[in-house]
Amino acid sequence: MNHNRQSNDGKHDDDSALSDFLASLMDYTPTIPDELVEHYLAKSGFQCPDVRLIRLVAVATQKFVAEVANDALQHCKARQAAVVKDKREKQQKDKRLILTMDDLSKSLREVGIPVTCSDVLKKNGHAFLFFVFND
Amino acid sequence: MRKSRSKRKSNIHLQQPTVNPRDFQFMITKVAVSQICKSVGFRRSRVSALETLTLVATKYLETLVKSAASFSNAASRTQSNILDLTNALHDMSLQVGFMGASTLYDHNNNCLLKSSVLESLSDFVSSTNEIPFAKPIERAKERESEEGNAVPGSFQERGGHIPEWLPRFPDVGGTNENCDKRVYGEQLWENSSSVLGCQIDGFEEKRCGSNNVGKLPKGRSRIKFRVNNGGRTRVGLNGISCNNVFGQSKDEEEAEPVAVCEKSVKSEEKQILVYKRRKKLC
Repeated sequence: MNHNRQSNDGKHDDDSALSDFLASLMDYTPTIPDELVEHYLAKSGFQCPDVRLIRLVAVATQKFVAEVANDALQHCKARQAAVVKDKREKQQKDKRLILTMDDLSKSLREVGIPVTCSDVLKKNGHAFLFFVFND
Repeated sequence: MRKSRSKRKSNIHLQQPTVNPRDFQFMITKVAVSQICKSVGFRRSRVSALETLTLVATKYLETLVKSAASFSNAASRTQSNILDLTNALHDMSLQVGFMGASTLYDHNNNCLLKSSVLESLSDFVSSTNEIPFAKPIERAKERESEEGNAVPGSFQERGGHIPEWLPRFPDVGGTNENCDKRVYGEQLWENSSSVLGCQIDGFEEKRCGSNNVGKLPKGRSRIKFRVNNGGRTRVGLNGISCNNVFGQSKDEEEAEPVAVCEKSVKSEEKQILVYKRRKKLC
């Protein structure tokens, strides 16, 4: 009986925490617009009349992209810290935080997406991708 | 040759006047992704890197949503709910790892709503600032409902995929509110009172309210139908005997035809008895 009571209380807490989160989702505007997300949902066969779940998907994608970009930023900064010689050079490079294919491929490999980009393709400005996504 | 491109997305230069739909949505996604990169801290990016990240984002979104749809289909549902989405998020995050990934399918302690992925998402929402989309978005104007003018079963009611010259669908009464409710009061978690009670005023519902269209125009009493054998006659409601295979009677008036039948039989018997006595006297 005690176990049941605890589980019920726990469920109630989780319900309230999640319901607060879903309510706060309506306040938060994700960067990816709702219409664009709805287009991708329709393309993939996701049917849901609830707006909150659409926002949840948009927020999840935004979080993923932000994590990948953050990892790439860390790689970029780590490389700059190793190369710094003078103070002037450091200031110049801080302003020029550029997202490159090298940093991006390293951070994507950590997430499970191996990306290869040979030198020949780099010259033409294209990238060759291998995607390993669970379907 | 290396190209670098600034982060200001105020001018998107379209090289061609006509854009494919696939390119169009890709360019919009590229704007959103570049905004996210800017918020993280990047000031510039290579074109190839930005396009790669955009492609990854679109693939992530599509895969997440496809797996959520397949989860709901596996449970014999067409509409996905938050539990399907949570399972799909778990699938996508297994590579990176999250708290509780090892006990995901433990029968004893498994609560999808307690998942750490959802918790981290709520932390993300509460901690990061909003980054609204760079370009103004035209909201689709809601079409004015012409309930009075629209013929039931016309284009507005059932969409353009059904030709207008086809007759209307029969009124099955499916828009009745009671059809949507379950016998034991089960409902989706996100529609429960505990969740809806936390809603803010600005919450919009996509579903439109149901009208009481399917109710019967007037009350009807209980009706029973009986199947009679071929040779047996039955006295009908008005005292008229009928030789029908299917008789129809109402519960309240069931006793009456039987009583009428008995009375007539008794009177016949009495007449017969009287007739017999007279014969003996003579």
